[in-house]
Amino acid sequence: MLSWSGTEQGLEVDLKNVRNASGGVDVSFARELVDFATAATEFDLAALTVARNKLMKLAGLAATVDVAAVIANFEMMTRLADSTGARMQTEVVADRLAVATAMGVDDVVSRR
Amino acid sequence: MSVSISDVRADLVFAHEQAWSALSHPGTWWSGAQRRELAITAILAVNEVEPSPPWVAASTVADKKLQILFASSAAHDVVYRIARHAATLTKDWYQRTTQEIDPLAFIELCGIVCTVATVVAFRRALDLDPPELAPATPGEPSRIKPDNVVAATLNWVPVIAPADENAAVVQAFTAVPETNRVIWAMADAQYIPDKEMVDPHWTRGTLSRVQMELVATRVSQQRECFY
Repeated sequence: MLSWSGTEQGLEVDLKNVRNASGGVDVSFARELVDFATAATEFDLAALTVARNKLMKLAGLAATVDVAAVIANFEMMTRLADSTGARMQTEVVADRLAVATAMGVDDVVSRR
Repeated sequence: MSVSISDVRADLVFAHEQAWSALSHPGTWWSGAQRRELAITAILAVNEVEPSPPWVAASTVADKKLQILFASSAAHDVVYRIARHAATLTKDWYQRTTQEIDPLAFIELCGIVCTVATVVAFRRALDLDPPELAPATPGEPSRIKPDNVVAATLNWVPVIAPADENAAVVQAFTAVPETNRVIWAMADAQYIPDKEMVDPHWTRGTLSRVQMELVATRVSQQRECFY
């Protein structure tokens, strides 16, 4: 979805950099978005506060709230997918092989 | 800089309140007391700094002090495992689990965990206090099973026919319609309304679609979600 939405908007998306949490996307606040998402999924509350304040300063309160909502949504969707054994159709997997490799999904625990 | 609940969009507050309140009400396969108790275990699981490893049944760990009064230990163990170690789940685990817990009741357990995980994550990200669980509402689960539940190829769990015509995540909870409704109401408010999903330019006016997808990608990667 990231690759597709970036292409549709004529933006450069380097998935290897997203994988390495170094931003790598030609969109506003990419670094801060990745930092906030990373901190929100870990247990370092000090890092989370820094990341949230930095994003709020740059993108504003309403955008930060909406980023938290997207983070929350994927805390939900990843559990939904993993607990119900969700998988993609074979042809979809084949189509997305290059993207999947760039993101390193061959290495993730839930590969099936 | 701090955030208060009044800074949150009303539609999002409403979706979370509806889902959170449902945790204490009778569901389709579990009573209100059972659902509430299982939600408490899910809250513990997502908040623990040092969780039990995936191969240890949480109910056997004495210092966790799980409240196991209404639902079985097996149900609590399933909830803990999904809440904290979802990426480690296997088809073999699912098959063993559903020898003890009916597959449709299992789907409702997944829905309880999804609700807890999403609301707690949202509150934690914004440094908002977690909501309290309401006292359990008495009453029996409805036990209403849709007529057209079938096996799927794209999911371990059964779904409503016709199977595999929609994405696996979209059909995953359809065999328990109330769970499905609550979860997708939150997804609409948190991410993108279903009817807008195909529009790469859709925005609420705060984030662009590609910004949303960047965040989604990073969270999925952190949770090691292959899907």
